[in-house]
Amino acid sequence: MKIPYGWIREFVDLDLGPAEAADRLVNAGIEVASVTPLAPPGLAGVVVGEIEAIERELGESRGHRLRLCRVWTGRERFGVVCGAPNARVGARAAFAPPGATLPGGRRIGVAQVHGVESQGMLCSERELGLGEEHEAGLLLVDGAVRPGADLLAALGLDDQVLEVEVTPNRPDCLSVLGVARELAALTGARLTPPRVTLREGRAPARGLVRVRIEASDLCHRFTARVITDVRVGPSPAWLAQRLRAAGLRPISNVVDVTNYVLWELGHPLHAFDYDTVAERTIVVRRARAGERFTTLDGQERTLTDAMLVIADPARAIGLAGVMGGANTEVGDGTTRVLLESAYFQPASIRRTSRALGLRTDAAYRFERGADVEALVQASARAAGLIAELAGGTVARGVVDAYPRRRRPVRLRLRMARVRRVLGVAPTAAHARRILTGLGLPTRGRGALLDVQVPSFRRDLALEDDLVEELIRVWGYDKLPSTLSGGATVVARESDRLRQEALVRRALVGAGLVETISYTFSDPARAAVLRGPADGAAVALRNPLSQDAAALRRSPLEGVLGAVATNLRRQQPDVRVFEIGVTFEPAESETGTREPRWAVVALAGARADASWYAGEARVDAYDAKGLAEHVLAALGTPAALVGTRPGGALGGFEPDCHATVLAGDQAVAEFGEIAAAARAAFGIDVPVFAAALPLDRVPYPGPPPRHQPLPRFPAVQRDLAFVLGAGQPLTAAALEAELAREAGPLLRGLVLFDVFRFPDGRTSLAWRLVFQAEDRTLTDDEVNEVQERVARRVTERFGVTLRSA
Amino acid sequence: MGHPRVDAIAREAREAAAAAASSAELERVRVAYLGRQGLLTQLLRALGTLPPQERPLVGAAANEAKRALEALLDERLAAAQARERRDARARARLDLTLPGRRPPLGVVHPLTRVHDEIVAIFVGLGFAVAEGPEVETDEYNFELLNLPPDHPARDMQDTFYISDAALLRTHTSPVQIRTMKAQRPPVRIICPGAVYRRDADVTHSPMFHQVEGLAVDRRITMGDLKGTLELFAREMFGPRSRIRFRPSFFPFTEPSAEVDVLCFLCAGGGCRVCRQSGWLEILGSGMVHPQVLRNVGYDPEEVTGWAFGMGIERIAMLKYGIDDIRLFFDNDLRFLRQFA
Repeated sequence: MKIPYGWIREFVDLDLGPAEAADRLVNAGIEVASVTPLAPPGLAGVVVGEIEAIERELGESRGHRLRLCRVWTGRERFGVVCGAPNARVGARAAFAPPGATLPGGRRIGVAQVHGVESQGMLCSERELGLGEEHEAGLLLVDGAVRPGADLLAALGLDDQVLEVEVTPNRPDCLSVLGVARELAALTGARLTPPRVTLREGRAPARGLVRVRIEASDLCHRFTARVITDVRVGPSPAWLAQRLRAAGLRPISNVVDVTNYVLWELGHPLHAFDYDTVAERTIVVRRARAGERFTTLDGQERTLTDAMLVIADPARAIGLAGVMGGANTEVGDGTTRVLLESAYFQPASIRRTSRALGLRTDAAYRFERGADVEALVQASARAAGLIAELAGGTVARGVVDAYPRRRRPVRLRLRMARVRRVLGVAPTAAHARRILTGLGLPTRGRGALLDVQVPSFRRDLALEDDLVEELIRVWGYDKLPSTLSGGATVVARESDRLRQEALVRRALVGAGLVETISYTFSDPARAAVLRGPADGAAVALRNPLSQDAAALRRSPLEGVLGAVATNLRRQQPDVRVFEIGVTFEPAESETGTREPRWAVVALAGARADASWYAGEARVDAYDAKGLAEHVLAALGTPAALVGTRPGGALGGFEPDCHATVLAGDQAVAEFGEIAAAARAAFGIDVPVFAAALPLDRVPYPGPPPRHQPLPRFPAVQRDLAFVLGAGQPLTAAALEAELAREAGPLLRGLVLFDVFRFPDGRTSLAWRLVFQAEDRTLTDDEVNEVQERVARRVTERFGVTLRSA
Repeated sequence: MGHPRVDAIAREAREAAAAAASSAELERVRVAYLGRQGLLTQLLRALGTLPPQERPLVGAAANEAKRALEALLDERLAAAQARERRDARARARLDLTLPGRRPPLGVVHPLTRVHDEIVAIFVGLGFAVAEGPEVETDEYNFELLNLPPDHPARDMQDTFYISDAALLRTHTSPVQIRTMKAQRPPVRIICPGAVYRRDADVTHSPMFHQVEGLAVDRRITMGDLKGTLELFAREMFGPRSRIRFRPSFFPFTEPSAEVDVLCFLCAGGGCRVCRQSGWLEILGSGMVHPQVLRNVGYDPEEVTGWAFGMGIERIAMLKYGIDDIRLFFDNDLRFLRQFA
């Protein structure tokens, strides 16, 4: 909300500059986003000049009659060439003498125009950067302003504007008076609210209008005044100028007054053309479902029966608290005005305004809570101004329907509570002064205060609300700095966080880069990642965009996005991971389950380019190895896991996709990303990935048990087997058999070589380590085991032993 | 001194050792004399076949010769190995200006770094970590936090909805509610996690991360909040760091405060980052609203509490000089690797 500082000072006698006042407000919780001069930047030296005489006609130029005017500034006379149609003798107009500057830094000097010397320039509104008007001619000022006066001062433009941002609990500060009241409380200065001068006519208002509230749950109070014999026309300069300074557009004297009072007192008003209201009767009722209504902005809107309308017996004439109706708009021909000042239930206004997408200054205030008591005063203030500016007579009295009378609110404040909450407290006398200064009548009985809450402070409902008022005004810098004692507990991270930290450490240690991606999902892209058993994704009702319309279901979506981004940005080697959640519909309180995952994605070279690393590209074994690495870091070593082809996740190539098992539990899936999935992400190189469902990976495992170190030497033997081309046999099957046959002396078993012959045969070589706990093994003993193992494996699987 | 037979073998062995030019040849000499079938070994093993009066003489001489030979071989071997390494390096055209074989350097995401720092500080102060779901109910995210439906304060947290009753949490405060509902005071927790608001520009991301803190006990004051946050600021931003409290409004705290930290770039003098104010807004906080305490079954006359919430992105942006929040979620490796 924009508030000219000069306006505030009409109501409170402050010794502060605008920047200091802004500081005080900020320190009391009223945010001031900016303090800016009202005048356009660059405008300087422009004064009021009187056109004393028109000395000569100079002919036409571009459709304008150029004339030489004599301009008097109270000290000097200037000859000025001017083409404005409204230049006439006696007019007082904006005059930029030589040396003045216009917005944008344009410096005015002496110029030759049509062979005549022009000393300075008479200016239009647009030339001064003060508005759009130019064709009508010069910016004229009131005849009361003396020649030579500074133009900005004369127009009230030598002021600063405070852009105030008020938190939702303080609707009372959404007005000049509200901010002035706050500053008075903060500085101790005296507050002088605007004086309402209202001369009422003889005809009583109640003879002119009837008000019937049919929905008193939504409208707690409705008042009406009538002003007759008005002449609608433009507002005087001071009013138009003030509205512009506040960021509002002047429309007509009657409408401008309602806006002026809205800004000044914070209460939204509405002016109807009295003669368009049927049967002189206002009915406040719920709209009928499907009722059509055209608001002031010309939009036809379809209403629901949850919305409140102002109506006459025939039709709706206003959308209560939000916007008036086109059918009763005040226009040039209006002679009688019906002035509404009412209170509407905040939540209802908010629902209506949101449902229609119609956010207005009025709705903004009503949904935060208007002042149900002050609305009569606002009505009187506006009626008085209308009579003053548009002529007319204010009918006597106000028609006031007030079915839900506000109950007085009193709060008790224990000074002990203040200390209990804050750790510090002002004296009771000081507290009483603070609260009274805020406009809260307070009586004290020792350390117990009795506080009356006025109707403009709807936010004060609890004792602790008063505690905040005290410290807010007293100053948050008075808060002590202490540390609470109390029982000491052992605090630690959660198991989840510790598991994730171990996974992160393992993968970062393996040289991967951690990524964090949005959990939003693009349904088009997610379709290609859908697993065979996957149900629907969790969809957002109001997404920011269609490509983020759901929550991700596949753990791969985030990392594939990261791979795609980097490939697109000329980063061909991507080795990344993410620890995060996916979302699936579930029968639960929130309707959603959120499994956690660690996901790895790899593309490009296995290692950064270097003189030693070679050209190797990543492959599925890298993905699997990283999964095994993570499992080992979490306490499930590779020796305890198995592998099964296929898996539950979508997005992998069927012939390069497997599940890692710990016992029967699937603890990882890995493989090559399917071509269709890559295409959906715009990736044109092979990508390999592994995903570990962290909730299912055993953690924390049983604590490790110490094994004594071996005391006798180990013996090492190598065995290599050759598998026929096309023989359907896996390394895991052979290894399992080796382990079983080798018996209890086997201490280590490592597949250390895989060799593919050109003819399609494969050689697999294992290193076996034998060791006994109680003796040094003899060659004979080990030879015997080795021969037995070799014989059994060759017989069982039909493979041949490869001689060394 | 010795024994003629032993002396002969010893001499022969010394000559062989002297003639050996490489570590491999030296090893062969060792096997020939000291190995299991070596000449000296055999001599010692055959002592029993000698006449009894000769045994001590031969035995002593052979043992002495064995020791001397071992010492000689060790010395020659060490020299030979050193020579051979030198030759190997020469053959390999050693160029120590070549880049070393570097293991790949992994990187933790900058948000994780800041998250871990914040969590570690509060765990050190005795706060346990509590977590909760990202999809929440309206009740936990808003209503129990004193934000009834159609309250204008809901505008402060523009929300993604899943259904009428379910939404993406707009803060981690529902974790506070869940924790308080599950246990009696005292409560001291921090709640880190992803949160969502329907807002996207250079400084607002529809998904971002928060750490919230909560302390509820019999004698907790706003002074304790200030003391705790001062301690935090000094740990996080350096020992000379200062904070200031400004009144604010949150529906779930009363009184409420915005907390600013003295701009650590200009030390309060005013710069572009703090927009000349000298202060950086880093978190919102306050005393837990009595209604919130009642909502979880606590008695506000019996216990009081404070709470705060800060954005991890905001702090990471200030700390690392990042001016576009979207960089965190782009996952460009050139960005992420700057935090190695």
